[in-house]
Amino acid sequence: MTFTLLIQSILAGLTNGFVYGLIGLGIAVAFRGARIINAMQGDVALIGAVMAYSASVSFGLPMPVGFVIGVVAGGLTGFLVDRLMIRPTLKRRGSEDSLLLVTLGGAFAVSAAVLLYFGRDSYPIPGIGGNDIVDVFDASMRVHAIWLIVISLAVVAALRWFYAKTLVGQALLAASIDPEGALTLGINVGRMRALTFGLGGLVGGLAGVLVAPLINIQYEMGLLLTLKGFAAAILGGLSSPFGAIFGGVLLGLVESLAVVTISSGYKDVVSMTLLIAIMIVLPQGLFGRRGRLGG
Amino acid sequence: MLATRRLTAGYGTVPVLFDVDLDVGDGESVAIVGANGAGKSTLVRTICGLLRVMGGEITKDGRAIQSEPPYRRAELGIAVVLEGRHLFDELSLESNLRIAEAQGRKRREARFDFRFDEVLELFPFMKGRMSAPVGVFSGGEQQMVAVARALLLKPELLILDEPSTGLAPKVVREIVGVIQALRKKGMSLLLIEQHIAVAAECSDRAYVLSLGKVVQQLDQHSWHLPSTTDALARAYLGNRT
Repeated sequence: MTFTLLIQSILAGLTNGFVYGLIGLGIAVAFRGARIINAMQGDVALIGAVMAYSASVSFGLPMPVGFVIGVVAGGLTGFLVDRLMIRPTLKRRGSEDSLLLVTLGGAFAVSAAVLLYFGRDSYPIPGIGGNDIVDVFDASMRVHAIWLIVISLAVVAALRWFYAKTLVGQALLAASIDPEGALTLGINVGRMRALTFGLGGLVGGLAGVLVAPLINIQYEMGLLLTLKGFAAAILGGLSSPFGAIFGGVLLGLVESLAVVTISSGYKDVVSMTLLIAIMIVLPQGLFGRRGRLGG
Repeated sequence: MLATRRLTAGYGTVPVLFDVDLDVGDGESVAIVGANGAGKSTLVRTICGLLRVMGGEITKDGRAIQSEPPYRRAELGIAVVLEGRHLFDELSLESNLRIAEAQGRKRREARFDFRFDEVLELFPFMKGRMSAPVGVFSGGEQQMVAVARALLLKPELLILDEPSTGLAPKVVREIVGVIQALRKKGMSLLLIEQHIAVAAECSDRAYVLSLGKVVQQLDQHSWHLPSTTDALARAYLGNRT
């Protein structure tokens, strides 16, 4: 393995890792604020990407506008997931398993809807900085990938600030740590959950528009993204935004190093083995405190 | 202040409370005593809205509140310290209190306006431990955090469910001291307590609950007779089958 190849695979791993991390971030937000695993997170990203594509490519709106529309569509989707699926399930005293199944069903529904209305094609969205490339030690990286990394880190910082410093963020945490305690303090726990899903949806929409220029967006990519994002979030402790990004990067790097050192066919084998190993040794993930609050 | 009329409530479709009539007057401290399983905690959870009313009525200052969601009842001036305290364990002491303080700010015209620093004066141990997560506090300290949190909601009625259970006698004395201070201020209290001596010390009147029904009302005179304690204790033993 040459030095350039090593650098190239690290850069590719970093990029993929942040993609996984961004999806995992939305899963972590939903789990942190509502104790619910949202199996639709990858499909929320799909909706964000498809909406951004429609707005900018089909309707000819400027790219930044399409970008915003994609993010907002994600947030709206998250909000509707809570109102139309989570809330009725909870009202009928649905268990954690039924909530997971409901969101899984939602994921298939979104995938089928995208297939119905947009077909099997993939949707290339121009990235930030177009297809420009920067050189790093003879290896290359797309400018868009650098933006993806910078924006991901900014979102993590913003989320940390939101949870730690704002009253709404604190009330949101309170509602998830002890819903009954929060209710008796006058916190509208249902509204906090809607907010959590809206927030997770915004992150999902953002992930969609940022990821779309790097991978082929098509109808069946949602669940695959969810799986990788879920792995990233679990590695990071499931409720820590920072942990999700870290877990994603770890996963991405392990995958790409597996590709250059073993074989591309073993990419998923190696990354999922890592996930299983970490789950056995550290059941709370790398940044989980009793699976509840991470940094 | 607070009244229930023919209140029936329970879990799922199974009623645990039957036709409970209860009154707490302005500035009055009322105790509910009864054996384990008498329905005391069910009564608390129904009054604060965590359990649905199956029949009857709950009124606050004459206004029916049984269909208000639990978070609205806090805004109406009913604060509760649930059994088990329900603190936000992973959050710091300061966060726990600030969250309550922010909710209390929604109550503009509160009769009792507990400011943050006033509450700290009631609980001196809190000074210097603001950034510690409340999960690491002792049982007694956690109980006081729960009371402090409830006071920051600026309630007119404070409901305390088993405040002395599992605490050392010295800590119980501290909590009794806080309760007496609140009574002196004229706050209405509903006190659920297994420890009859503590209950009698901290309240004006009492209701005895057994198998979900009010079986006895004790007025100020009979509740504070020394023989009452013995009689109630014997009645409890009789209830334990």
